Amino acid sequence: MDKILKQIRKKCISISNIGKDGNLQSTFSSIEILWAIYDKVLKSDDSFVLSKGQSNLALMVILAQKEIISVEELNTFCKFDSRISMQVDRTKFFNKEIEVSAGSLGHGLPMSVGMAMANKIQNSNGKIYCLVGDGEFNEGTMWESCILASSKKLDNLCIIVDNNKSIYSMIDVGNLDNKFKSFGFSVKNINGHDLNELQDSMLETSELPKIIIANTFRGYGSSTLMNDKSWFHRYPKNEVEKLLNEVDEF
Amino acid sequence: MIKTVSDFIESDINTALFLVDIGVYGFREVLDKYPERAMNIGVFEDGMISVAAGLSLKNIIPTIYGISPFIVNRAFEQLKLDFGYQKLPGNFITTGASYDFSTLGYSHYCPEDLGLIKMIPGFEFISPGNPTEFDILFNSTCKNENPTYFRLSDYSNTAICNTEFGKATVIKQGSKAVVIAVSTMLDKVIQACEDYDVTILYYNTLIPFDYKTLKNQNINNVLLCEPHYYGLLTQEVVDALQGESIRLDYVGLPREIYRNYGTKLEKDEFYKLTIDNIQSKLNNIITK
Repeated sequence: MDKILKQIRKKCISISNIGKDGNLQSTFSSIEILWAIYDKVLKSDDSFVLSKGQSNLALMVILAQKEIISVEELNTFCKFDSRISMQVDRTKFFNKEIEVSAGSLGHGLPMSVGMAMANKIQNSNGKIYCLVGDGEFNEGTMWESCILASSKKLDNLCIIVDNNKSIYSMIDVGNLDNKFKSFGFSVKNINGHDLNELQDSMLETSELPKIIIANTFRGYGSSTLMNDKSWFHRYPKNEVEKLLNEVDEF
Repeated sequence: MIKTVSDFIESDINTALFLVDIGVYGFREVLDKYPERAMNIGVFEDGMISVAAGLSLKNIIPTIYGISPFIVNRAFEQLKLDFGYQKLPGNFITTGASYDFSTLGYSHYCPEDLGLIKMIPGFEFISPGNPTEFDILFNSTCKNENPTYFRLSDYSNTAICNTEFGKATVIKQGSKAVVIAVSTMLDKVIQACEDYDVTILYYNTLIPFDYKTLKNQNINNVLLCEPHYYGLLTQEVVDALQGESIRLDYVGLPREIYRNYGTKLEKDEFYKLTIDNIQSKLNNIITK
């Protein structure tokens, strides 16, 4: 694992502990995706939408890494009157560092579809990158949005699925690739922890709206977070050092 | 409504129209002319509200036209989070006020829409009494920064009065009571109050509520006549007359699930949205 990706994970652990809250498993599964987007993919006209709000801590740490917010501000995570918390509120980011608020699942993707339609109407070349969770596909609005995106031929829309296999703990949705293909998408199935695969698939042009199924592991980067299901929603408390060491040794 | 909204879409490239599979024939010209931003999006209300919010984020003002329960009830979370929480402008025009679609049953009724929308801070709620009022109020608000809900009824007032967004209209002045006529209740209120020494205030902008005009009457006997579930404007009346002892009564729809079909007018009779009931309540308020 690249040094920077370990640094981001370790910062997430520390900040989660400061804020006394965290979804570290879901955060860790999407770190490579978010880093690839912010380090290699996004151009000035492009927009990023975090639909799976549970990864917001990783997003904030990456924004700090890219000096879009300050490192000091990370220490206000979840504090009263902070700009940053478990789910992001776009109205606190006056320079549009964050374009869409997150929280309730199944909203970010349809909003991204609307943004992609807007770019078509306004003849903007900007692309919309939207990170969703596989578990979000329990929401009807996700599939409705896919029908509309396909119908409108939104080739400026790229959906990245953090496929950390959440949905399979609820229902067996079968083969996601085939489902998305049948909805009219260009589908890529990649290793969601490989920066090169992520970058290449996101930048590849397509005449169809695109879905990248980024196969990931919950808690990737820490053996405890990967194996202990109790970490779905908790913060490290007395286990900070243990988790930091695991990231170093990963 | 169709011409006013079509003109709005024609006048500005940064506008969009979504029909929820209703009004398609009426809007056919604008649908044909601007297919990229005027479309019958189908019965996809919840996701569609989010899609509209995405357009709004990119500074394209969306206007949505659908049947009230399918906008307010089905997509309430999207209205709350994608427009309210994110502070985005948009226009939501609904048909089928209360039980206008009487024969279709409770699934198509929405006497609670004001009560729900007023729970989303930042929303405006407009309940025009006739098509002319809609035109004036839509043109006043369609480009403002707030999400705005328009509650349209097929049963208009015949009374014509000056209309201004956010302002109540004084229809007549008296001394014994204030009768608040909300939207399509105006005709009945005017007829009922013909021989009474009362003030009639007419409200078609319900949020933001015009507190000042009510307060300025200096009358604390109030009869609130609403074409939706009764009492949804109680808090506004109480706030307007804060610090005063208020005698308040209502003419409006009971908070029941309606299962009786028939016509809209038959329901009005059954639920006492009638001139007789207005007068009966008024007699009670004035003589107590």
